[in-house]
Amino acid sequence: MSLAIETKNLTKTYKARGGKSINVVNDLDLQVKSGEIFGFLGPNGAGKTTTIKILLGIIYPSAGTASVLGRDPGDTEVHKRISYLPEKPYYYEHMTGRELMLYYASLFGIRDAALCDKLLERVNLSNDKNRPISQYSKGMQQRVGLAQSLLNNPELIFLDEPTGGLDPIAHIEVRDLILQFREEGKTVFISSHELSDIERICDRVAIINKGEIVQQGSLDVLLAGGSTEVRAESVSDSLASTLREKGGFTMSYSSGVLLAEIPDTVNQNEIIDTLRSGKANVVSVIPRRRRLEDLFIESVKDDNVAKGRKLFNMVDKGDQEEKV
Amino acid sequence: MKLKRTPLIATAVSAFLGAGLLNTLVTGPHYMDQYPRALGGNATENLSPDQLLVTIAGFREMVAGILWVRADSFFEEGNYDAILPIIRLVTWLDPRQLDVYATGMWHMAYNFTDEESRSDRRYIPSAVALGREGSQNNDYTYELFFETGWLFYHKIDDDYGQAVKWWEAAHTKKDMQTARRNILAMAYMRNGQLNDTTRLYRDLLTEAEEAFEGDNVFTNRQNRDTLESNYDNHLMRMVQRGNFAQERGDFDQGLYDTKPPFDVRFSARVTVTDSKVLQVEGTWGVQPVGSRIRMVLRDKDFPNALPAQMVWDQADRVDLDPPKDITWVQDGLFVRNQRFNRRIDLSRDPTMYPFRSENYIIEFYYNPRSAPPHIQDKFGFNGEGMTDQNFLNTEIRPGTRVLYATLEITRDQLLRRGQYALDRETPIVQTKNFVAPSGAAVNDVLEVPGIRSAQPEQPQARPERPRIPPTRTAPTSTGR
Amino acid sequence: MNVILSIAKTTVGEAIRRRVLLVILLIGVLFLVIAPGLQTLSARQNFAVLTSFALGIIQLTSAVIAIVLTVYMIPNEIERRTIYTILSKPVQRWQFILGKYFGAIAALAMMMALMSVAFFAVFYIVQPEARSQIGNIAKGPMMFFVQMSLLAAVAMLFSTFVAPIVNMFLSGGVYLVGTLFNAVFQTISENDQLPGLVKGAAGVIYTVVPNFGQFNISNPLINPGTEIKGETLFFVQLAGYAILYITVALIIAVIVFDRREV
Repeated sequence: MSLAIETKNLTKTYKARGGKSINVVNDLDLQVKSGEIFGFLGPNGAGKTTTIKILLGIIYPSAGTASVLGRDPGDTEVHKRISYLPEKPYYYEHMTGRELMLYYASLFGIRDAALCDKLLERVNLSNDKNRPISQYSKGMQQRVGLAQSLLNNPELIFLDEPTGGLDPIAHIEVRDLILQFREEGKTVFISSHELSDIERICDRVAIINKGEIVQQGSLDVLLAGGSTEVRAESVSDSLASTLREKGGFTMSYSSGVLLAEIPDTVNQNEIIDTLRSGKANVVSVIPRRRRLEDLFIESVKDDNVAKGRKLFNMVDKGDQEEKV
Repeated sequence: MKLKRTPLIATAVSAFLGAGLLNTLVTGPHYMDQYPRALGGNATENLSPDQLLVTIAGFREMVAGILWVRADSFFEEGNYDAILPIIRLVTWLDPRQLDVYATGMWHMAYNFTDEESRSDRRYIPSAVALGREGSQNNDYTYELFFETGWLFYHKIDDDYGQAVKWWEAAHTKKDMQTARRNILAMAYMRNGQLNDTTRLYRDLLTEAEEAFEGDNVFTNRQNRDTLESNYDNHLMRMVQRGNFAQERGDFDQGLYDTKPPFDVRFSARVTVTDSKVLQVEGTWGVQPVGSRIRMVLRDKDFPNALPAQMVWDQADRVDLDPPKDITWVQDGLFVRNQRFNRRIDLSRDPTMYPFRSENYIIEFYYNPRSAPPHIQDKFGFNGEGMTDQNFLNTEIRPGTRVLYATLEITRDQLLRRGQYALDRETPIVQTKNFVAPSGAAVNDVLEVPGIRSAQPEQPQARPERPRIPPTRTAPTSTGR
Repeated sequence: MNVILSIAKTTVGEAIRRRVLLVILLIGVLFLVIAPGLQTLSARQNFAVLTSFALGIIQLTSAVIAIVLTVYMIPNEIERRTIYTILSKPVQRWQFILGKYFGAIAALAMMMALMSVAFFAVFYIVQPEARSQIGNIAKGPMMFFVQMSLLAAVAMLFSTFVAPIVNMFLSGGVYLVGTLFNAVFQTISENDQLPGLVKGAAGVIYTVVPNFGQFNISNPLINPGTEIKGETLFFVQLAGYAILYITVALIIAVIVFDRREV
């Protein structure tokens, strides 16, 4: 399978005040295969947008190389085959959605009003296409952004935080659109920290922190290895200590109630058998898949920002589960 | 994709050089032609920063207009010193403001006076320079050529060749007013170009007759009548004063009013009665009123001084502050009953009369060309009918017989210092022929020489009916 | 070329909707309408004062518009991130700069045309005897437009490396110097007492700073009977000068912007 994007030792250095150099992107090796949806994850300030700008040829790397569709990132030929949806863009507000589409089309040398209308229809903006963009909601702006990113029928689409700040319905609409791209055989490069979206739609991800890649691979592989939560009541103190001696998993026990989190690598049946034979009442056995969130937090855990995020996510967890 | 920089930079550099050259050599100088230059003086220094800003922003003409309004109020207040800088500034801002040039010239030439209303003639070269600048900057119109000529003709009242030169230039302008054209004839006359006067009157009369035939309106009739009368007067005077006879060569065979030359018997005495106070008296043997003898008291080394005048167009720039360390007193001595006697007090104007120099010249000067017609009827256009045993001069004004006498006087004498201190010797300088008046022969009868005048030595001869001098009909002034 | 035209068109559309520009334009037009009230200043030269004032207003207003319009043009695109959607398309940076520039001067042309029309309407009413002069006076705004095109190019160049507010003062300053320096240079070069160094420096400034002053042809326009010697040639030379200088400014702008990380 050919690579849509490849970077080698990609580095971007900025000079900070006082002459100190900061590597915003450091020694980045990325491989994005054609036709896949690639998630590019990282906390704010990790270097995601910088990487995308390099890949678009808007800024230049300090060291290392990048190739997009086999060419230099800034190549006009490349630009004809890619598209980009920036994070929180403000379009020319005096234009209507349709005018904006026509304008962007003309930048590709496309004079095809029908195409513009078709794309607007595809993002459900047919009814609003003659209204000025200043009257559009955030979701509508994001959708017109997506529509413009399809004007040249691109092979590769860069989406920077495509679902950021959207209400749930718009969120889902955008997510569904991205999934359609895959069906059309387009390569999609999504930069986001909306982990649930990424987990749901991406084939492969890379996690970047402080400008460096800390994880890269297919989601199946990265998230392999889950655990099973076992809850039992009427557990005697002796039974509990037997299990604790067994080890290999985490458990909590108090006044006859035991909660164990057993990794897949440990024989779960054996523990359940032990509980049953000890007259304990096994109330629930819930298999838990490993979550992208866990991977993400693990990957960036030495980072103070990430620690804060972890705390936040713990509180948040209930919400996310409800959504799922 | 990165740009190829080298060709771009090369293009930029050559375009830059091209622009620089074009600006410096072509458009810049070409542009400055549109804004004619002020002759000297840093005009901007009188602008406040906000005015300067407004000026630069392209409101030169407007600022000029506003300043001119302000100057008007200074005129009303009599704050003359404040006006000059404004005039300078306005003409720099908007070199097309004819009124400002014209007013400025008049102001410089006429309004700076001493306590006894004598003009400060040290300003006149600058006034002439302003006229020259204004006319250069506005050479599409006759106006400033006319005004500059007027300065020579009327204020300087000498050096008539300059008046002729400026008015001839005014005549070449399309907008030259008909009513102002015949004044050139007067300038020709005073410059001794009598035939040019004749020619011009004739041409103007022909034109006026044609105009009257073309449009039978009152102004055209009036203009024609005026010219007709002027032309007649002129021809008659040329006959009467023997000018045609001179041209024909038979002057000696006829009787003319200008024959024989009348001896004016000039003498003068200057007494310094007090520091910077002069008593000037003397004789002038002409009975009729209307004689005014020019007296100039000046530094002996006054720059560019000429006999009884200076090089009036000596300034190559308009100087708002003429040199204040030189002295030039000019006055007219009015003759009555064949004597003049005038007290001249210079002590009250130390700025105008600084008396820095050690030695001074007092000049007495009478030019028949400046004389009114009834005097000229005897003296002739060029002084043919005038003489003086001692002081007739045919050199200082070529082509004219003028009276010119000089006396020398020192600073100590003028200021009454040293041996001339007030309690000591009274300084007196006088012509050799000066005789103190007896005091008895006061004759109040005004006599006018007749057409066939008798011996001039007998002025009390049978008086004839006084001739009424013809009114000068030519409209002259611009109405001020 | 199509790309440049598209960008220019969008730029015009945006410019003519910018409220701050419209407010400035409105103030300019208001001044033009009240201009006849100033005629009392000079009884004899109504025509000159009105025309001078009106041309001055047109110049001043246009300069402010040119600067305000241009200094925000590129920074706004960056701030709103719209530039990324454009530069990620097959659009070269030089095309972007040129498109923006042509859009700016097209917008300027429209606004200046509006002001001129307002002035001529006023002129037509209050100076009935000088109506035939309108065609001649129109040369004034035309040359101002050339001047403003140059100013816009300079402001655009600055906008590739300084912040808008700084640029406003910078461009405004350059404009002021370029307008003023004509007269100053004349004074300096004719003053014999100044040291050669000062004169040399003046010469350098005169050559380097765009000579905005020479596009102001108000004086010959408002003075009847005067005309520019070799007018057509002079206009061609001026336009040539402006084009050369604009070329320089835009090339530098392109070079700077090409390397700039946006």
